[in-house]
Amino acid sequence: MNITTRRQFLRQLGLSAAALPFLPSLPSLAGTVSESPPQRIIFMFTPNGTIPEDFWPDETGADFKLKRILSPLEPFKNRMITLKGVCNKIGGDGDGHMRGISCLLTADQLLPGNIQGGGNKPAGWAGNISIDQEIKNFLQANAATSTRFGSLELGVAVPNRADPWTREAYAGPNQPLAPISDPYALFDKLYGNQKNLENLGSILDDVRDDLKWISAKVDPKEREMLDQHATFVREMEQDLQRSDTQQLMFPAPVLEQGVVLDNDGIPKISAMQIDLLVNAFANGMARVATLQYTNSVGQARMRWLDINDDHHHLSHEPDNNEEAREKLVKINTWLCQQLSDLARKLDAIPEPGGSGTMLDHTTIVWTNELGKGNSHSLDNLPFVMVGGGLGFKGGQALSFDNVPHNRLWMSVAHAFGHPISTFGRQEFCANGPLSLS
Amino acid sequence: MGLESMRNPCAFFLISLICLQALQAEDGLSIYAKQCASCHGDHGQGVADECEDPLQGTRSLESLARYIERRMPEDDPELVIGDDARQVAAYIYEAFYSVDSQSASKPAAEPAFARLTNRQFRESVADLINSFYKQPQMAEGTGLRAKYFESDGMNKKARQGMERVDQKLDFDFGEGAPADGINPEQFSVAWEGSLNAPETGWYEFRMSTPNGARFYLNGDKQNGDSNSRDDSGAKRQTALIDEWVSSGTEVRTSSARIFLLGGRGYPIRLDYFKYKEPRGMVKVEWKPPHSEWELLGVPYLSPADSKRTFVVNTSFPPDDASEGYERGTGISKAWHEATTLAAIEAADEVVSRIGLLTGVKADAPDRVEKLKGFIATFAERAFRRPLDDDARQRYIDHAFAGDVTADQAIKRAVIMILKSPRFLYPELTSEKDDYTIASRLALALWDSIPDEKLRNAAKEGKLRDVAEVRRQTERMAADPRAIAKVEAFFAGWLKLDAEDELQKDPQKFPGFDAAVASDLRRSLQLFVDHVITSETSDYRELIHADYLMLNARLAHYYGVPAPDGDGFHPVKMEAGQRSGILTHPYLLSRLAHEDSTSPIHRGVFLTRNVLGGVLKPPPKAISFEDHPFTPGMSMREKVTEITRSSSCMTCHERINPLGFSLENFDATGRFRTEEDGRPIDQVADFITSSGDTVELKGPEDVANLVLQSPEARMGFIEQLLRYTLKQNPDVYGNRSVDRLEDDFTQSGDNIRKLFMEICAVGALDRIPDLKQAAN
Repeated sequence: MNITTRRQFLRQLGLSAAALPFLPSLPSLAGTVSESPPQRIIFMFTPNGTIPEDFWPDETGADFKLKRILSPLEPFKNRMITLKGVCNKIGGDGDGHMRGISCLLTADQLLPGNIQGGGNKPAGWAGNISIDQEIKNFLQANAATSTRFGSLELGVAVPNRADPWTREAYAGPNQPLAPISDPYALFDKLYGNQKNLENLGSILDDVRDDLKWISAKVDPKEREMLDQHATFVREMEQDLQRSDTQQLMFPAPVLEQGVVLDNDGIPKISAMQIDLLVNAFANGMARVATLQYTNSVGQARMRWLDINDDHHHLSHEPDNNEEAREKLVKINTWLCQQLSDLARKLDAIPEPGGSGTMLDHTTIVWTNELGKGNSHSLDNLPFVMVGGGLGFKGGQALSFDNVPHNRLWMSVAHAFGHPISTFGRQEFCANGPLSLS
Repeated sequence: MGLESMRNPCAFFLISLICLQALQAEDGLSIYAKQCASCHGDHGQGVADECEDPLQGTRSLESLARYIERRMPEDDPELVIGDDARQVAAYIYEAFYSVDSQSASKPAAEPAFARLTNRQFRESVADLINSFYKQPQMAEGTGLRAKYFESDGMNKKARQGMERVDQKLDFDFGEGAPADGINPEQFSVAWEGSLNAPETGWYEFRMSTPNGARFYLNGDKQNGDSNSRDDSGAKRQTALIDEWVSSGTEVRTSSARIFLLGGRGYPIRLDYFKYKEPRGMVKVEWKPPHSEWELLGVPYLSPADSKRTFVVNTSFPPDDASEGYERGTGISKAWHEATTLAAIEAADEVVSRIGLLTGVKADAPDRVEKLKGFIATFAERAFRRPLDDDARQRYIDHAFAGDVTADQAIKRAVIMILKSPRFLYPELTSEKDDYTIASRLALALWDSIPDEKLRNAAKEGKLRDVAEVRRQTERMAADPRAIAKVEAFFAGWLKLDAEDELQKDPQKFPGFDAAVASDLRRSLQLFVDHVITSETSDYRELIHADYLMLNARLAHYYGVPAPDGDGFHPVKMEAGQRSGILTHPYLLSRLAHEDSTSPIHRGVFLTRNVLGGVLKPPPKAISFEDHPFTPGMSMREKVTEITRSSSCMTCHERINPLGFSLENFDATGRFRTEEDGRPIDQVADFITSSGDTVELKGPEDVANLVLQSPEARMGFIEQLLRYTLKQNPDVYGNRSVDRLEDDFTQSGDNIRKLFMEICAVGALDRIPDLKQAAN
């Protein structure tokens, strides 16, 4: 980045020139950005299927209208694709919910195991790497595209329990990856002890005060050690001041403290996780992420929408239960709003070292375990893509004729310049990647 | 001078010494002034660029005289020989050389001002947070409580089929059911109780099963937890190892590590279920510090409940151990950073468990006031005394001031309290009162902070009563933390804490593998434990016990019949072959090379650690490997040759005979009578510090030497005192060790009583207005 664009960039960020000294490492960090702009991908998961009539546009092609559930995406209509007709055909052991999440990104059958669901045979973990990890490994293998973490696995209210209903990302067969559902823990992972260290500054001040006060009252021999102690305290304070100005191109987000990590905290947790994800991407920490809302069979009670029933229970109600249906539309619209917030926040940040915004270089794929809740159908999964990370043509409602979702993940891999000839179960890879451009 | 005169009859020498003392002293002084003072100083204090070390030591007068005769002055040893040598030796000995002359001339030393040692920091923080939990009752017995259920569906515990106590976590149910009446297709088991960690350090655990299992350690058991339904008993906890989901019939093994403090019980739980897989099995193994993998079982499992203990994970730079014991007399930047990170860790623990610790509900109207009260109590316990107004203002009001949430205020307050000099320097205040005594007792006995009983005694002003201090000491010494501390002392004394692996040449010692090495260490640990916790706690048993603690593997390697039953049991050894720690094969192996014995290592250890001797560093480094020995020489001959020069012999005349007397034990501590086909010559003459020559024919003679040597006993007492109090004995007056030795003898050499007495001596030092017990 040359100095002109750097100033411009800072202006866009709303930082004045006075802020410059606090971003000393900006040039060197920008220097590591490769010539070609980065590509990023986020897989967002929500559970229990959708209400197809209120989800899929009636039209196909460029001229389409967004239905109620997708209405929060209106601002991004010309940068999004809906993909009807893509189906999870994997089959095998395990109930529909288990296969719905654990075969979603892995596109292969579950291994035999001891977990018994609501039907079918018991099963275990997925038998394949998930597509996000496949892409992560591909990017990490190249110095120009590798990042500190490669990928981040985020959760919102994912239960503290590891089984095939709660895991979508797999590092390989039998290797589930646990999403981090605690924003404070994620913060620590991303920024280390920085926050603690910030608080420490003022604590050290007080410690030094007390040392001084006590030191005045003790023997000279003891004072010597206490004075030495005070020196270390002062040095640490100085180190902290220096580290305040360190490496990060974007300062860490300020998280609301004391948010309780329970059902009612979900709206706040969601916002915090989105902020952390966007910030981590902006700081070049990773280029791949999964963002998982609850789990398959997710049972969130969205009381903030005045809905007291749990999501999974509602999703079982028959089509003619209008009240349940209306609630499910509200739930899915709220989830779509989270997707929209994520897109908006990515769009608000100019691409570091490149042109356009971060959303222009990031694709968000909205996935679901089921097509429709009350039929447990794995057909017509409600796939939506937002953003320009993969170079697919935006502003279209696509319709496919009952194609396996393996082919969609092949398209994604190919878009990253990773031309795999199959992904997951081979029999579903015939005819290669779906054409999305 | 030949062997004859070295064996001068001692009685004659002493009589003549007494008769001639006045005359000799005068003559000795003038000889000293003429021949010695230019290098050693007028009063033996040393001279820069000549002989800088003060002329002090533990040699006997006889040994000193012989040394002068042969070696001094260095440039011409012939100048001071015969009577002159004896006279100058007598002068030096009386004037400044001997321990008695040193202590007689010195007032009691000032205690060293010290911070908490790393061990004290960890123990104190653990007990500080623990002190807010209600501690469960201790329970008798060993093993874990187990409940076996037939399941409904996958793992819903439906019908209890069996309840029992299991002694180790190793189960192979095969294709069958664990008990009659349980469907072999689908059942589940929950094991619960405590894990007693034998020592402080990193523990590794690994669990293997083809079924579903979760292993929990040191979690919080909360109200409403139970094991009556699937694994809901632990749903709020994070499993240390989670293998809930099976994968075909494959046995999956996964592991995790955790840092634990020794001498404490930790809540442990294993949840297991089998569902339609052909085979049922589960086992949990562990790898305690310095040990090899083994099945997790008794004696480390107890059916008792226990509470989570917060353990600081931050690694600390090592404490100063330059004087042979860890002490907090220095600070460094790295230490300051470590204590800071540890304080943050502890603050996170407190914040995340604030409800459990305080019982204050999140929506209580007076929450802030109650939390302030909690922090005030937390500070009082950390500072080991009531808060003055200044401290209250600094540590509580200030932390809660301003626009902060309760969580932030608590975090801030906890970090400040643990960073405070009031916590980190226990003897900070100039007031020496009941609280000082309580603080010292807790540090001496537990390396920790006072418990409730001790706090109350201090508050009620009872602790200036010496009798009450002894009562408290006795009470506290029975606590597992006190036993853990004494064991930690022995771990250092007997090199149980050596970091490097104990390995031997597999060609020469087939069968001596990592498992044997690990068992050997455990064997010595258990022996020490067995002796110190027994009724008599007898130091003499440590030195001359004729048995070893052996399990089947060790019995096999050492060629004795295996003891009955699992685990370690005392096995009586052949008469005259073994003598307590002196011939414990762990030490004999540690103090040996990979492929051969090392009489020097064994001799140095016995001299320094067991006989209370002081050795200076060797004047020159000699590499054993490169020395051109004549082929076929015995180890004894090699050592004799390589240490023959007089500068070596000043120390090796004591080291070598001790080492030679143990030549009947090979590099792995097995008894032998031959070395490479030649008979072992283990008989050696040893000159005691009182000048007697003792013929050592083997370990029994060494044991008798140790038990009859006042220096050995004093040395032991001094080492235990230093470790316990983190101070030198001269802080407590120049007769303190003598007095302790008298008590020790009267108690029948009872180690635990000695430890208690040391703790009391430390606690009562320099406290004004003590109420002495009426004699």
